[in-house]
Amino acid sequence: MTRAIRAKFVEGGVEFALSVAVAIVALLIGLLFVIASGVGPGTGAKAFIDGAFSGQLNLAGTLSKMVPLTLVALGWIVAFRSGRFHVGFPGQLLFGGLVVSIVALKPDLPIGIHLPLCILAGAVGGALWAGIAAWMWARRGVNEILSTLLLNLVAIQVLAWWVRQPFHDHTTPLPLTPPLPSSAFYPTLLTNTDLHWDILLIPICVVAVAFILTRTTFGFELRMVGSNPHVAQHAGISPERIGSWSILLSGALAGLAGASLVIAGTTPAMGEDFGSDYGFTGIAVALLARNSPWGAVPAALLFAALIQGGGVMEGTVGISSSLVDVLQGVMIVFVLAATTILYFARRNRRRVRPPTVAGPAVPNEPADATVIA
Amino acid sequence: MSQVIATFGFGPFDMNWLSTALVLTTPLLFPAVGELISERAGVLNVGLEGMMLSGAFFSYMVTAKTGSIPAGAFAGIGGGLFFGVIMALLSIEAKADQIVAGVGINLAGVGLTSYLFDQMYSSGTQIVVPTVTPLRIPGLADIPHFGPAIFDQDPLLYIAFLLVPVSWFLLKRTRWGLAVRASGELPAAADTAGISVRRVRWFSVLLASALAGVGGSYLVIVDVGIFHQQMTNGRGFLALVAVIFGRWSPWGVLGACFALGGTDALQLRLADQSSVPHQVWVILGIIAVAVVLYRAVVRRRIARPLDAAILVAVAVFGFVTFAVNPPWDLPQQFWQALPYLVALAVLGGALTRAHMPAKLTLPYRRGEG
Repeated sequence: MTRAIRAKFVEGGVEFALSVAVAIVALLIGLLFVIASGVGPGTGAKAFIDGAFSGQLNLAGTLSKMVPLTLVALGWIVAFRSGRFHVGFPGQLLFGGLVVSIVALKPDLPIGIHLPLCILAGAVGGALWAGIAAWMWARRGVNEILSTLLLNLVAIQVLAWWVRQPFHDHTTPLPLTPPLPSSAFYPTLLTNTDLHWDILLIPICVVAVAFILTRTTFGFELRMVGSNPHVAQHAGISPERIGSWSILLSGALAGLAGASLVIAGTTPAMGEDFGSDYGFTGIAVALLARNSPWGAVPAALLFAALIQGGGVMEGTVGISSSLVDVLQGVMIVFVLAATTILYFARRNRRRVRPPTVAGPAVPNEPADATVIA
Repeated sequence: MSQVIATFGFGPFDMNWLSTALVLTTPLLFPAVGELISERAGVLNVGLEGMMLSGAFFSYMVTAKTGSIPAGAFAGIGGGLFFGVIMALLSIEAKADQIVAGVGINLAGVGLTSYLFDQMYSSGTQIVVPTVTPLRIPGLADIPHFGPAIFDQDPLLYIAFLLVPVSWFLLKRTRWGLAVRASGELPAAADTAGISVRRVRWFSVLLASALAGVGGSYLVIVDVGIFHQQMTNGRGFLALVAVIFGRWSPWGVLGACFALGGTDALQLRLADQSSVPHQVWVILGIIAVAVVLYRAVVRRRIARPLDAAILVAVAVFGFVTFAVNPPWDLPQQFWQALPYLVALAVLGGALTRAHMPAKLTLPYRRGEG
């Protein structure tokens, strides 16, 4: 083993240990909340672990929730590596689902054609919605974080209209689409549970994103734009072009997540706001994974267990499932703090590159950028 | 005159609208003024939404417990400050990425308030807390027509609007304001001149979070008297947009907040209408023409032929629809999304970032700036 490879392993090990530490501290804080609401720590922990992992039904619930979380996390990683912080996953996920509902309801096709079309529709829908933000950023210089925050709010209204007016099921007063045909659905992996074959998207997309980022020209250009837009520009790589493509790709991944929520869900019809929460939780997943596509899998497992276990816990011991949202925020804050500690610890040994998460943001306009490093 | 007003009965002449618009501008103005100062000092605080929610929840909790509105307002400040301290620690001390930190604070704010609300108030009927009574300003409130809408409002509203000239004066005419602006534009120079960039930024971030907390508590102790989950409904994000649209100046921020708050009020008025009222088209046309004239006459140029073509098309569309008055029916969801759509259009059209503080989002390290 060469020294460089060993150093890389040590670095990876340290980062992994840091994420584990952050997760443990966050879980302990969660336990404090549980104790504060008058439930014994043992009872609370047991209710949570049972809810997340015990029995076929709960385990399948946890695994199926990993799919959208991993996909959104990968979306964040792709955009983040090119220096674009967009948070439009909820909107892209919802719009992806909306486009899926068009394709799912219209044609009468065999599952071999219909399902791939629906999956594709999800990715296209997510990319389209992301395309608005990408265009506004590249052509109008609009900060992508603001535009995507607003587009999320718009998407919720668009979907609310969609399931009430053009795609409303007239047999029910509820805001729902008509039941989607079974040929549009992912087949279940485990009968009578939430677990569908879309779980395969996790290995496929993780490998694909890792491959694109590290083994292709596009991935190289993307990382170059992300780490230093000036150098990239001098090398003839347009930060606007690469940045836009990375936002589109990230939107497509969020759209796939939306498709999974619609056509691998428990209900046959699509309702309003069917899961925009996953869009924000996925960001926490990516940050806990320290922006590594491989790390996104264990981080997604943790958050999926939190959502599933937290949901069950609400029923068994009466603790609000919003606790999961608190822990998301807590984890992001701790990840940032831990990154800084790591940065200063490393800097004391030798001058190294700025940290990946806590580094200076890349300003929108390369002309304005004064990179402090 | 009153005849004309009655027949027009819309826009700035509609007193119900004006009154609502002012009330809806206030919860945007508090966080936006704070954010303006924080951004001028170089810290982009994306966590406004979380801070507002926290302010709203804690002011609801304290007012429900004590029955005292001032106590509730201070609790709102405290709720905002709680996240402000976290934001300052992350962005100034840890030099972490400000945008990621803000996203984390938003999530934590939504989570914490939803969790506490679920745990504390989910059972039984919801307690309605007392709300602030209007403070009628004698003399001014007797101005016919406009008086009651503007000068018969709650005291917090007056404070919000007074913050604009006050912050303008502080930023432009005091040493403190100079220190704030220097910290955002050229922190190394400020440091050399003996200004503690760290202290200025700490103060600005805490001020922004406290004002965001007040903005959140305004929704509870003035507007509705109850709390519900995610009740701020994107107002923290609109305040961020207002700072950009207002080009980082207090008066610009006031105009931007009023435009967004006014759209929100329009949305409330129009959501229950069966078809788009006549006057909306007129206003659309007038705005487009005004923008064209501003570009052509004041700035003496049309930025791009495409922009001009779009504006002219909107203007023509506005006047044609005014003449024809089509019975178009727009869905309720469109009106609800209108403030966000306006904010997006504003961001897309704002074009210049010439007024943006040069070191916005960049942490300051001694000897490296």
